[in-house]
Amino acid sequence: MLFNSFNFALFLPLVFILYWFISNKNLKFQNLLLLVASYFFYSCWDWRFLFLLIFSTLLDFFSGIQIYKSNNASQRKFWFWLSIIINLGFLGVFKYFNFFADSLKDLFSVFGFQVNMWSLKVILPIGISFYTFHGLSYVIDIYKKRISPEKNYIDYALFVSFFPLLVAGPIERATHLLPQIKKERTFNYNRAVDGLRQILWGLFKKIVIADNCAVYANMIFNNSADYSGSTLVMGALFFTFQIYGDFSGYSDIALGTSRLFGIELLQNFSFPYFSRDIAEFWRRWHISLSSWFKDYLYIPLGGSKGGKWMQIRNTFIVFLVSGFWHGANWTFVVWGLLNAIYFLPLLIFNKNRYHLEIVANQSNLPSFKEFMFMLITFGLTVFAWIFFRANNLHHALQFVDGIFSKSLFSVPNIRPTYIILLLLFFMMLEWLGRKDKYALEKMGFQYHSLFRWSMYTVLLIAIFIFGTKEQEFIYFQF
Amino acid sequence: MKKFFQRLILFGLVFFVLDKLFYIFLYAAPHLEADKRLELLLNGKINKDVIVMGSSRGAYNIIAGQIEKETGKTSYNISYAGSNIQFHLFLLKTVLKYNKKPQIVVLSLDDPSEFLFDKSLNFRLDRLYPLEKYTYINQELIDQNDKSKFSWFLYLARLNKSNFTFTKKKEALESPILSCGSMPFLEKFSKKELVFDTKQKHYFITKELKNKRKAFLEFQHICNANNIKLIYCFAPNFRVYNPVLENRIKSIALRENKFFVYDTNISAYKHKKYFHDVSHLNMRGAKLFTSELSKFINLNK
Repeated sequence: MLFNSFNFALFLPLVFILYWFISNKNLKFQNLLLLVASYFFYSCWDWRFLFLLIFSTLLDFFSGIQIYKSNNASQRKFWFWLSIIINLGFLGVFKYFNFFADSLKDLFSVFGFQVNMWSLKVILPIGISFYTFHGLSYVIDIYKKRISPEKNYIDYALFVSFFPLLVAGPIERATHLLPQIKKERTFNYNRAVDGLRQILWGLFKKIVIADNCAVYANMIFNNSADYSGSTLVMGALFFTFQIYGDFSGYSDIALGTSRLFGIELLQNFSFPYFSRDIAEFWRRWHISLSSWFKDYLYIPLGGSKGGKWMQIRNTFIVFLVSGFWHGANWTFVVWGLLNAIYFLPLLIFNKNRYHLEIVANQSNLPSFKEFMFMLITFGLTVFAWIFFRANNLHHALQFVDGIFSKSLFSVPNIRPTYIILLLLFFMMLEWLGRKDKYALEKMGFQYHSLFRWSMYTVLLIAIFIFGTKEQEFIYFQF
Repeated sequence: MKKFFQRLILFGLVFFVLDKLFYIFLYAAPHLEADKRLELLLNGKINKDVIVMGSSRGAYNIIAGQIEKETGKTSYNISYAGSNIQFHLFLLKTVLKYNKKPQIVVLSLDDPSEFLFDKSLNFRLDRLYPLEKYTYINQELIDQNDKSKFSWFLYLARLNKSNFTFTKKKEALESPILSCGSMPFLEKFSKKELVFDTKQKHYFITKELKNKRKAFLEFQHICNANNIKLIYCFAPNFRVYNPVLENRIKSIALRENKFFVYDTNISAYKHKKYFHDVSHLNMRGAKLFTSELSKFINLNK
C-alpha cells in the first residue's frame, strides 16, 4: 500500500477515525489499534514477510530484556551478539547474499577460475534495512545501559512497526519514540492540521516533482549512449530532483501521517540542496540515517578522538557502509566513497562544522560567496548521484565519459519546459520556506486563511494533473 | 476535533465543486481529435458487417471502403498504428458492448511480432486519454493501472497534462483517415530507398509473451462465443514470406477461424512502387491487397 495510492487514502481516514473516536482515552487500545493497522499495512506488500518482521521484533524484545536482566557480562554479551548476528544475518541473506556470491564469482574469473556460485531467488523484504536498524539501535542502547528495556510487547512492536515509518524510515530511536508511545495522547487541532499540510507537501514533492522528473531521468539513464553530454547533464539533474522529491516527499508524508496520531517522528530532511559544503549536506540529507551511523558506528570506532587520521579513517568507513546500506551494488559503494572524498578537505582543514545554520538565515538572498558554495556543493552532489542511479559501474563510467565530451556544450536533446518551470517553482517555494521544518509549514501564515486555502487547492490540483500512475518510492528497494 | 472535521469537510466540498469546473477540459478533448473512430465506437455508430482490426498493418494496408464495394458488406476499419493484441481485444469488447455485432472480424496480424516483445506495439493509452469523459474509458484506464480510483469521482484525476490545450490535432498528411476508418499511405510519400529482403526471419516460440497469447486466445474465444467469423489476415512485408507465424497461429487457432495470406506469387508485392516502407503498403499496394481480401471474404460468406 503506497502512501500515494487510493487504498492508503481509504486506510488512513479509517485508522484515524478508529483511533480518535473508538479507542480514544485508552492508550493500550490506541497502541494495539496502531500495531494491528501497521501489520495490515505491511502485509499489503507481502504477508509472508510479516512473520520475519514479527520474529525480528520478538528477538530484539526478548534480547533486550535478557541483556538487562543478566548479571554477568558473558550472558549480556551472549544475548547482545545473538540479536546483532541474527538481525544482520537476515539483512545479509536477503539483501547481500547474491551480491557477495556474484562478486566472488567475478573475483575467481579474474584468476581464470570459472565457479558456479549458488544464488538465492528471494525478493528483498520491504523495509528490512529500516526496521533492522530500529532493532539494532534498541539492543545496543540497552547493552550500553543508555535505556532500560520495554516490558510491553505491543508498545515495543509499535516502536518497530509504526506504519508511517515502517518501510522507509525515518529511522527512529527508542529514546525518542518509545516515550511518546507510552504517553497518553490527546487530539490537537493545530498539530493535526500541520500533519495534513506536511502530507500535502510530501505528495506534491513525490507526485509532481519526483514522478515527473523520473520519466526523463529514466529515459536518459536507460539510453545514455544515445544522448549528448548536455542531455546527460539534464538526466543527472532530473535524477537529483527525483530522488530528493521522492525520499523527502515520503518522509514528509510519514511525518505528517504520524502527527495526525499525535506522534512526532524525527526530521529526516532539511533543505539539503541549499547546503554550502558537503558536511552541511549530510546534516540535512537523510538525517536519521546519518545520525544513526554517527552514534552507532562513527563514535564506537573512536570518532575524532584518535586524531586526524582516525577521524578520516572513521569517516571513510561510515560513508562506505552507508553506501553499502543503500544497496548491494558497487555503484552505491562508489557513491559513498565519492562523498567521503568530498568530505576530506573539510576534515583536514577542520571546516566540517562550519555551516550549522541554514543559508541566508538573516536575509532573503544568499551572498555571492554563499551562492557559489551552494552551487559547487550541488554540482558535487549531482555528480555523485550519477553513480547512485547507474545500473552498474560500467554504466556510470560510460555516463560520466558521455558528459565530458564535445557535446557537453550543445543544446540538450531533451528539455521539457514544463518540468523545468515546475522545478523552478518548487525550488522557489523551498527557498521561501527554508527556515522551517518543511517548506509549507508556515507559508502564507501572514495572510488571510483564504490565501492559504487557495494555495493548498492549487497544490492539490497540481498533484492530480501532474500525477502519473501510482509509482513506488525509490527507498523502498533499500 | 469538531473544528478539524468541519474545516476538513468544508475544504473537501469546495475542492469537489471546483473539481467539477474541470469538466470543460474533458468535454473539449474529444472535439480536438482528428481521429474520432473510438468515440464513434463508444457512441454506437459503427454498426457494420465487417470490422477490420489490427495495428498499422491493418490501418494502412486494408481499405474498408473497398471491401464494402467489392463484397456488398458494410465495413469499417478500427485498426490503430502501434497497437497490440491487448488493445485489439479491448476494441472488440467495445464494439460488442456499444454496437451491433459484426458478422466478420478481420484481424490483421503483426508478422512476426504478434506474440513477441516489440516496443513499437503497445496498448494505446494515448487514444483513450481524450475520451476520459466516458466512464467506460476511465474504468479501462483504471484497469490498465494507468489512472487512480480517485477518477471515479474527481474529474481532475481523469485529466492529463495533454488536456490543457485547445489546439485541434491535425491529420497525418501521409495517411489521412478515410470515412471508412482506413488510412492508406498516399503514394507520393513512399520511401524511395527500399530493398527487398530475401532473408527469412527466425521465430522463437520461447520468446512469446504469455499476456499477448492470452489476449489472442480470449479474442478468438469472444468471436466464437458471439458467432462472429474471424479471419486472420497476413499482409505482405517487403521481404520474402515466412509461414512460421501462420503455422504457429494455426496451432492455437480454433478450427472455424479462417486464414487469409496474401498471394505470394503476385510479383507486385516484390516491387517497391507498391510499398510505403518495408512493413507497409502504399495506396496502390493496399488496393491490390484489399481486392484479394475481398475475394476471400466473398468465397467464405
